[in-house]
Formats: sequence, C-alpha cells, structure tokens
Amino acid sequence: MPLTLYSIFIRSSRSYLIYLIDFHDSPKQYWAKKSFVERKKLPAEKIRVGRDYQVIVPEFIPLNERRLDQCPDRALLVWSPTTDIPDQKLDEYIILAKEKYGYNGEQALGMLFWHKHNLERAVLDLANFTPFPDEWTVEDKVLFEQAFQFHGKSFHRIRQMLPDKSIASLVKYYYSWKKTRTRTSLMDRQARKLNSGGKEGENGSENGSELGSNTDSESEDKKWTIHRGIRRGKNQAVQGSQGGDAKASSDSENMPQVQGACSNCGVACHSVRTTPKGHACHSCYLHWRRTGVARPLSSVPGRSNKRKPPRGLVVNHDDLAALAGQPNQANNSLQAIDTEIVSLKRQIQSNKQQVSGLKRKTTDGIDDLRPPEVSSRINARWTNDELLLAVQGVRKYGKDFSAIADVIGTKTEAHLRSFFVNYRRRYNLDAVLKEYEAENGPILIDDEKDEKMEVDQVQNSENAETSQKAKASVAPGQTTK
Amino acid sequence: MSTAPHSKKRVCYYYDSDIGNYYYGQGHPMKPHRIRMTHNLLLNYGLYRKMEIYRPHKATADEMTKFHSDEYIRFLRSIRPDNMSEYNKQMQRFNVGEDCPVFDGLYEFCQLSAGGSVAAAVKLNKQASEICINWGGGLHHAKKSEASGFCYVNDIVLGILELLKYHQRVLYIDIDVHHGDGVEEAFYTTDRVMTVSFHKYGEYFPGTGDLRDIGAGKGKYYAVNIPLRDGMDDESYESIFVPIISKVMETFQPSAVVLQCGADSLTGDRLGCFNLTVRGHGKCVEFVKKYNLPFLMVGGGGYTIRNVSRCWTYETSVALGSEIANELPYNDYFEYFGPDFKLHISPSNMANQNTPEYLEKIKTRLFENLRMLPHAPGVQVQAIPEDGAIVEDSEADEKVNPDERLPQRDLDKRIQHENEYSDSEDEGDGGRRDNRSFKGSRKRPRLEKGQESGDSDLKKEDDIKSEIKENEKDDKANVTSEEVKKDGSVNP
Repeated sequence: MPLTLYSIFIRSSRSYLIYLIDFHDSPKQYWAKKSFVERKKLPAEKIRVGRDYQVIVPEFIPLNERRLDQCPDRALLVWSPTTDIPDQKLDEYIILAKEKYGYNGEQALGMLFWHKHNLERAVLDLANFTPFPDEWTVEDKVLFEQAFQFHGKSFHRIRQMLPDKSIASLVKYYYSWKKTRTRTSLMDRQARKLNSGGKEGENGSENGSELGSNTDSESEDKKWTIHRGIRRGKNQAVQGSQGGDAKASSDSENMPQVQGACSNCGVACHSVRTTPKGHACHSCYLHWRRTGVARPLSSVPGRSNKRKPPRGLVVNHDDLAALAGQPNQANNSLQAIDTEIVSLKRQIQSNKQQVSGLKRKTTDGIDDLRPPEVSSRINARWTNDELLLAVQGVRKYGKDFSAIADVIGTKTEAHLRSFFVNYRRRYNLDAVLKEYEAENGPILIDDEKDEKMEVDQVQNSENAETSQKAKASVAPGQTTK
Repeated sequence: MSTAPHSKKRVCYYYDSDIGNYYYGQGHPMKPHRIRMTHNLLLNYGLYRKMEIYRPHKATADEMTKFHSDEYIRFLRSIRPDNMSEYNKQMQRFNVGEDCPVFDGLYEFCQLSAGGSVAAAVKLNKQASEICINWGGGLHHAKKSEASGFCYVNDIVLGILELLKYHQRVLYIDIDVHHGDGVEEAFYTTDRVMTVSFHKYGEYFPGTGDLRDIGAGKGKYYAVNIPLRDGMDDESYESIFVPIISKVMETFQPSAVVLQCGADSLTGDRLGCFNLTVRGHGKCVEFVKKYNLPFLMVGGGGYTIRNVSRCWTYETSVALGSEIANELPYNDYFEYFGPDFKLHISPSNMANQNTPEYLEKIKTRLFENLRMLPHAPGVQVQAIPEDGAIVEDSEADEKVNPDERLPQRDLDKRIQHENEYSDSEDEGDGGRRDNRSFKGSRKRPRLEKGQESGDSDLKKEDDIKSEIKENEKDDKANVTSEEVKKDGSVNP
C-alpha cells in the first residue's frame, strides 16, 4: 500500500491539514481495515443457550382464530402500481414534473398516487405543490467544502460551520457531492498550491492560469462554472445576441475556437461582430466603436500562454460577462445548465439501454420473428390448418400441386397428390375444381403447362422491362450527384 | 439452477427516505446511504412504479422487546453522542462503542429498520403480498441484549416472530458473508424456525457458524451452518446453495421464507472475501422465489456501496420478474458507478479455496443432519449406532447433548484431511484457474478499475450468450408444444 505509507509519511512531516486535503480517504480506510482484521482473530465463539439468549416463540394462531387486529398495518402506502397508465405516458409525466416543476421522480409519482392515478388531475396539480428548491445555496456548498477540508467526515464538526443544516442533510449532501469532487479538482489544486507556495501576494497574476483562485464572493459563481468545465450549449445562447449569428453559435459546438473566437483578444464567445479588423467579441467591438482602435490587450485575461484555460475547458466570454454582471441571473442560468446536463445524461443512458436492448435482439437472431412454419419440417401428417390451405389451394390453383405445396410449405407435391386422391370425396374436391375451372377454364394437362409457360414468359419480360426502367431511373440520379 | 420463466408477483417494498442519511461515523464501513442509492436506482430503472411502496412506521420499544431485553432497548433509546460518557458501564455491557458506535439518530435508525421488517411480515401474514422487501433490514448479528457487528436491533428476528403467529414453520436463509449468529442464537432451541447460513468460516467475524453447530434441545438439527472458505465464486455457490436449500425445503417444508441478502459476499467487498457477482448473488433470490412461498427479503452487510446498490437493485428486479438493462439509467449517484456504468460486475481473479470435494463433504454431512428431521421420510436408524461408536470426547459433557458432538470429531478429521489434499488438488484440476493464480490467495486483491472493466466486457458477452441460449431453448420449447397441440387435434 504505497499510498497509505506515503500518506502516513506526509502526516508526520507536514501539517495535518495537508494530509487531510490530499489523502482524506485512504488513511482512514487503512485504519478501518486494520481494526477489522484484528476483529477477525477473535477466538471461535459459541452460540449461547439460555433464557437470556433465545426468543420466546409466539403461539401459532390457527386459521379460525385469526382476526384482523392481530395484523396492525402501520406502514404508510405511498405508491401502488397501476396498469391503467402506459409506461411511456408515465415517463413523460415524470419528466414534465422533473424538468418543469423541479420534482424528483418519487415526488411526481406520489402526486399521481394522491390523485388516485388520475394523470390529468395530477398534471394540473403539479404547479400547486412545487417542492422546495434545493436549500443548499452556493455559499453553503463552498462552506461545506471548506469545512470538509478541515474536518473530513466528522459531520459534527462540519455542522459547527453550517449550523442551520442537520447532520442528515450534511450526510446526504456529502454523498451527492463526493463523486463530483473531481470536477472541482482545480480548486483543490489551487488551494494546495497556495498552501505550499504561500505566495498570497501573487494571487492576481495567477488568476489567468487558474481562474478558481478568485476569492471575492462576486466571482464565486464564475468559479463554479469554470471548475465544472461547463460550457453553454447552443440552446442557451444569450438572448441579446444578434440574430445573424445563430448559425455561428450552433456550429461552435464542434469548433468553438474557430467559429466564435474574437480575432482581437482570442476569447471564445457566442456572438462575434464583423469589423474591418476581423471578428471581434462584444467588448472588443464596443471598444473599437468607441475609440476606433483595437482594444489594448494587456488588461485582458486569457491572452498570454500562461492564461489559457486548461485543456478541454472552453471559457466563453459572453457567459463570463453575463455571470460576472448579475449574480442572481448567473445562478439561475447555472441551474438551467445543470438541469440540461442532467437531462442530456439521462437521455444518453436511456439511449444506451435501448441500443443494448436492440443489440441483444439482433444477436438473438430473427428466429422468433419468423412465422412458425419455417421452423417446422416437411411432415406427412396433415393438420387442420394445412387441410384448409390445401382445399383453398385447389380452389385457386386447380391441379397445380407444386404451387399448392409451395403455399403450404410443409408438404411436397407428392403429398398433395395423395391428398387429392384421399380427400377427394370428404372435401368434395371435384366441386372445388369445378369452381376453379369456371373461372380459369378447363384443366388439360398440356394446356396447363403451356399456360404456365406463357405466364412465366410474360412475367419474365415484365421483370426485364421493370428492371430496365429502374436502371434508367437510377442513372440520372447518379449523374446529378 | 434453471431459470424458470419469471412469474409476476405482488411485491411490497419498505423504505423510509431518512434511512440513508444516518452516519455510523468517520471511517466506519457500514454506510446506510447504500439503501438510498439502491432506492434511487430502483426509481430510475422504473422498478419503483411496479411495486407497492410503503413508508414503514417506527417500531416501538414494545415491538422491539418482543425479542430484545427491556434494559437493552431502554439503553438504545436514551444513548446519544453527547451523553455517552454517562453510560460507560452499560456501553461495555451491551457492546456498544467500537464496532457498533453511538451515532446521531441511532435509535431512530433501528426503529425504521425494524419497522420495515415487522410491517413486511404483517403484510405477508395478511396474504396481501407475495414478496416483501426491506433493504433497510437484515441486521442479523444483533443479540437479545447485545449489539454486534454493526447491528443493534435484530429486525429479522422481530419479523420472523411476526410470521410465526400465522406460520407453523419459517425458514431463514442467510447469504451474507458473515454468519447469521444473531438469528441463529435467537431460534437455536426451537423447531419452528430453521436457520440456514452460508458464510465464510475460520478466523472471521463473528467466529460462530461451525458445521457442527446444529441447534440445541428441540431445535437440534434446526440450525444449518455452511462454513465456506475464501473466494467462493458463482458456480461453487450455486453448487452448494441449490442442493442444500432444495433438501431443506423438502424436509422442513416451511410455509414462509426469510432471505437475508447481505451483499458483502460479492466480489470486491471492503470486508468480505468471496467472489460472487451480482448475477450469482441474485440467483439465490431467484431460486428461493421459485418455491412460491410468502417471501421476505431483507438487506444486511455490504460495504462496497456501489456494488451493494447494484446487487439489491438487480434482486428487486428478480423479485418483480421484470428484466432490466445492463446499462444503468442516469441517477443521483451516477458517478459512483464509473467507469463502465453497468449493472453487472465481473468476478476478480482471486483463488477459490473451496474445492468441489470440500463442498461435497459439507453437503453430505448436512444431508445426514437433515435426514434426522422428523419430517424426513424414513429417519435413518443406522446413523445412531455410528454416533455411539466413539465416546471418548472429554468435552462431551459441556454441551447439551452428547449425541450431537460425536460426529463432530469424525468430521474434524475429515475436514483436516480435506485441507491437506486441497492444495495439490488446486494445482491439479484447476485448469480454469491457471491464468489467474499469480496472486496470493489469502488476501484478496483489490479490483483495479481498468481490469474490472476489461474483464466485465468479456464476461458480459458470455452472460448475454448464455441468456440467449436459454431464451432460444424456451422459444423452441414453446414452438414444439404448440406443434404438439396442433398435431393432437388433427382431424381423423
């Protein structure tokens, strides 16, 4: 366990704080494991017998003495399944409740159950009972993170810094936050850097490389967006942007650097304005309009090499401007982005589920989709269905037994010949044949063959014609391409 | 285990949204939050909407003292982290403090866990449901007046007590990696409850669960212990679970079953040392379900929480008889399930120290015991003189019945021999283990993430293939039966 050893080393040589920040998980695990290994070595124990250990087994109540009051059911029913509403409708309802009114899935179903599975009434009622929004403000979250860095998972101590939260609420938040820490790793890194370097004074110059070091509360929101690596999707384009740039912003999904970049300061943004000096972001554009010269770059962050955002993270100028401008609105738009991400992820996973379901189906083969006849072999025994088909076959094809055999699928021509002989009287096949002859003319063996040949020939020539036509129709299409 | 076509059952599920937010303490492996994670997965898989969902009541002290001593419950009710110092003596007496710490809301946690299992048992008694699930329960170590192994109140015993009102015989099965000592002890002397526990035995918590512990007094032969070694895999587990449970069902003929689904028998558990996959674990549920008895499923151990929630989600789907995709739906805890975000997990390369011969020996030995049950057709009279043959055990007087100890010695010898051989056998017949036997077998290697995902892909394909085969079989069976029907009705 090199990591554990390392962390112990750290603890002895550096401050306890650093150890907590770097390895807040592993040493405890080590400790826990050790104690459980020790526990394992207990001497073999025995099951004890006596009044202090066993239960008093209750009397068995025979059937005729059972009463309802022996079974007090004190659990509260909060949902029962229904077959009235198809799954898809239910999904739609839940998504509506989630995305429009901020319910969670359970609350949405609870509402539906309250209305006795009446979907319309539940939908109407959704707006009346919107659940409390997440009571964790950004400040709370940052406070929690800081407290966690000091105290680890001692929720008692964390609570001293967040007195209005219950332990349960802290635990719940901890588990939802734990795995998203990697997304905020920038901040951790910066904190570590500051701690080890101790160069508080240079805070400002480092802003460019790791924007998370801003400590004033105004830019807190900004920090969170950047840490999470969130970039606005095309749907969230700033309302005030000019209409003509819609296309550019939608393309920026793929090539943000090229499409929405300012040629002056190099910042990526949704809307660039065309000026005689090339594309410019809003700030550069305004500066140019006012002064007639390009905006000086010394004051613009994100220009020098050092100030480039980390790999995979695109800082959108417009977003930053909006975020920095109005903190409240910033919060809202962040939430909107978060919900959007969540719904996209949900979509991705359900798509994956569908894909794997389809994959499984294809590997299953099409056997179960085939009509059952295919799997059954040629069989001399006649089933009811086959008999029915054979009689109808005679009505339609006369004595062309091979055609009838083809239709039935499980019988050969010979089978049908014997069928014709055996069942001639039972099914009155002569009468059936007469019906056939009335429509198609009398059957003469030779005639029949000739007819067939003719039909074949006609069909062949027709086929040839159509295929030629098809070729002709394809050809021009190809040339136009 | 042949997978019988899933039958649809009425399933009731007990969950309180608070139960996930209790916290045992820093560094403690027991994490009630796994119940919440499971719940969230169920919700997002769409399984939630297929069950009746109940919010359990908080079990009262009266309910809990049906098993526990009044003093112990009074103690649990009054102790808090801030008044612990006043209770030093009692804490020692009731074994509260180290493994079983005092944490915020301890008593409420016990109330909810017990409330769920009791309510579930009541539901089954009323025949208002066929399967009841309480993942918040399953705390099988708790004793009458003593906390143990992260368990304070034994919800299982309370649930079984409720079932015993309306059921003459109740079967308890425990697939936690630890011995279900609390439940076994509670019912050690009764013939109305049979406890069957599959667990790791030998230098392992709680130290009980020897093959020779078979119950006492009237309850003799009504405690069944299956001691296992490290590295049990799906195949071995099935090879011992199925025959023993079949035999138990046949001889004991219970009218209700309680299954403790402790998930620490899964591969990669923080405390466990078995190598089961979610599928293998779930097969036990599937198998028990097939008996169509009133069925109570409770949680239990499980200390790698992402796998616990995978396992219990899958087992809920098995109970419901509705298949769920291997790709996890997006959920509140999505990041926990990376990097593959799949439901099923693959076993590790740890060595299985349970040879088929060892398992076979255990099986025969237990079958002999089961034959002693009065229900069994034709009790073997020959077995008794065999017991009487060796009467030199000096400890024989210490235990309840001299008869029961004698075969133990016999068995001791057998087991020892078994172990001596086992090493060479491993090398000899272990063709399938050849490529993975580099690591030491004692300490189980932790799963590396990359390795896990690599294995899982292969494994998944296999799983899918085998499933397909099974499906095909079913289809063919259907087709042929249809043909037969048609043929049968042919006109003369």
